[in-house]
Amino acid sequence: MNITAHPVAPEEVMAFLDGELSAAEAQDVSTHVEHCADCAKLTEQFRSESQSLAEWKIETVPAKLENSVADAITKANSELKIGKGNVFIRANSWTWKRWVLASGGALAVLLLVIGISVPTLQRAPQAMMDERVVHGGAQQSDRDNLGAGTMGKIEIPRKLANKDKQSIPAISVQLTNEDSNGRFPKDSSPSTNGYVRTDQLSINAPMIARTVSLSIVAKDFAASRSLLDSVLARHHGYFGQLNISTPENAARSLQASLRIPAAELPAALADLKKLGRVETESQFGEEVTQQHFDLVARLKTSRETEQRFRAILEQRTGKLSDVLEVEQEIARVRGEIETMEGEQKELEHRVSFATVSLQLTEEYKAQLNPPAASISTRIYNAFIDGYHNASETVLGVVIFFAVNGPTILIWVAVLALPAIFVWRRYRKTLAAL
Amino acid sequence: MSEGAENSDGVNATAQTDEQLMVAFSRGSTEAFSELFSRYKQPVFGFFRRRVADPAQAEELAQETFLAILRASSRYEPRSLFRAYLYAIGFKILQAHRRKTAFRATFLGAATGFREPASADTADTELFMRQAVGRLERLDREILMLREFERLSYAEIAELLRLPVNTVRSRLFRARVALRDLLAAPAPNLPARELTESEQRV
Repeated sequence: MNITAHPVAPEEVMAFLDGELSAAEAQDVSTHVEHCADCAKLTEQFRSESQSLAEWKIETVPAKLENSVADAITKANSELKIGKGNVFIRANSWTWKRWVLASGGALAVLLLVIGISVPTLQRAPQAMMDERVVHGGAQQSDRDNLGAGTMGKIEIPRKLANKDKQSIPAISVQLTNEDSNGRFPKDSSPSTNGYVRTDQLSINAPMIARTVSLSIVAKDFAASRSLLDSVLARHHGYFGQLNISTPENAARSLQASLRIPAAELPAALADLKKLGRVETESQFGEEVTQQHFDLVARLKTSRETEQRFRAILEQRTGKLSDVLEVEQEIARVRGEIETMEGEQKELEHRVSFATVSLQLTEEYKAQLNPPAASISTRIYNAFIDGYHNASETVLGVVIFFAVNGPTILIWVAVLALPAIFVWRRYRKTLAAL
Repeated sequence: MSEGAENSDGVNATAQTDEQLMVAFSRGSTEAFSELFSRYKQPVFGFFRRRVADPAQAEELAQETFLAILRASSRYEPRSLFRAYLYAIGFKILQAHRRKTAFRATFLGAATGFREPASADTADTELFMRQAVGRLERLDREILMLREFERLSYAEIAELLRLPVNTVRSRLFRARVALRDLLAAPAPNLPARELTESEQRV
């Protein structure tokens, strides 16, 4: 049939037979078919074809199918009658799409939680440090009260100092008046602070190295801190070491090692006890007279030995090996002398300056409403934390693919061909069904 | 269900349309469903029987379809004909069955080539016609069968297969012309009176 020569397309003839045309269209096609032999033939072929298809008979529904569905109906009916409500509504209403959506949503939430929590956990130690920084910052006034005149060295945790220079680190201040060589600065030199050289002491007087341990509870921590500075200045003492702790919602405390001239010790202790209530006090006295006497005697002998070696070296001549041997002996003796001189100075310093270990604790007063950061600060911090979490999550994903990407690509390349083969076979089997 | 039985609303079920029965069933009238089952048990069984070679599997799928209707009655909305709704469910069940069979054949090595011995009273012309239908292109055959056996309109077929109506019409025409040519060809020898899965199914 020449399709282009026909005003009615063959598909329209078919649609006419199927009743898919409107009344007007059906009228037009019907009129055309009556006068067109080709279209009439096509109509007849299609009708004949439908009759042939109608010969495809199907056996009667098996009784088993009727019985099983009838049982299901009966069961549903009985459940309705005993008041279990609409069994049809209670039936499984979750399609596979809903299951997929719900599972996908749950998975997304899980990934989100992991994505948020992992960087947070990783940053936890850092966050703790930052928290300490905030707490330390709240006690700025206390740090301002530190005796600047006696401060020798401030140790700041390197990590904090590098990370956030605006933050003020937790206080860990060590004060010492000794320089790196162990010598004393001029303003605290023994000669000006009551230090008396041992050679000026009577050799018969006992040499006692005193150690005192004091634990004091103060009501006003800041005032006690200032008073401590004044006591040290008055008695020509100095801080051997000083640590101050100012935690939030807890009592502040101070731990110090004070060096006070032995002659000033009783008066200094009396003044220190005025800082607050003395909880514990202990004193130790180590007599080092004999130790010092022995040291002086050995030092004297070594010096005499050194003098004799030098005299031998200057007055006598001999083999080169003998001269070298004498010089080695002089070097050895000189070393011993310097060691003993150091020990002697240290011993005399222990005697001249008593050591006072002071533990000063604030009498803690609980606060009904502990000071908290303002709302704007908390919101700001939350945004910063959110930014850090997001950036670390992205960074974590990038790192994951950087680390595992090549391996994943290798596996994809290895598995791609078998997967494509199996998929094509599956599609082919499905198409054949 | 007996002829002339009344549903829970006191209306004669046999006088109601399919859609009215389905609404009544969704409200709890099991008599309405019994009437629907009696009307469609043979067409639904035929739907699967023409597409699945194994009669037991066809029966099982038909049962599954009615049970799905039973379970999903609360979601029924009488916007389209119940017949289209019924075959849409049946078609989904059929697709799931095919995917399962293909998966088993691909990954588990299960056989798919069920051969059905033709019954003694099957005419040669019918066998010839079924083989001709089996040779049609897959989608064309599906459209042709939905039109000829399930009596669905072009629009309903288009909705079921998610195709444009014009595509359905053109493919249906192509299938009919192809089938006409196949039927007009000389009849091949049919020594083995049996039908393979591909000659049975869509």
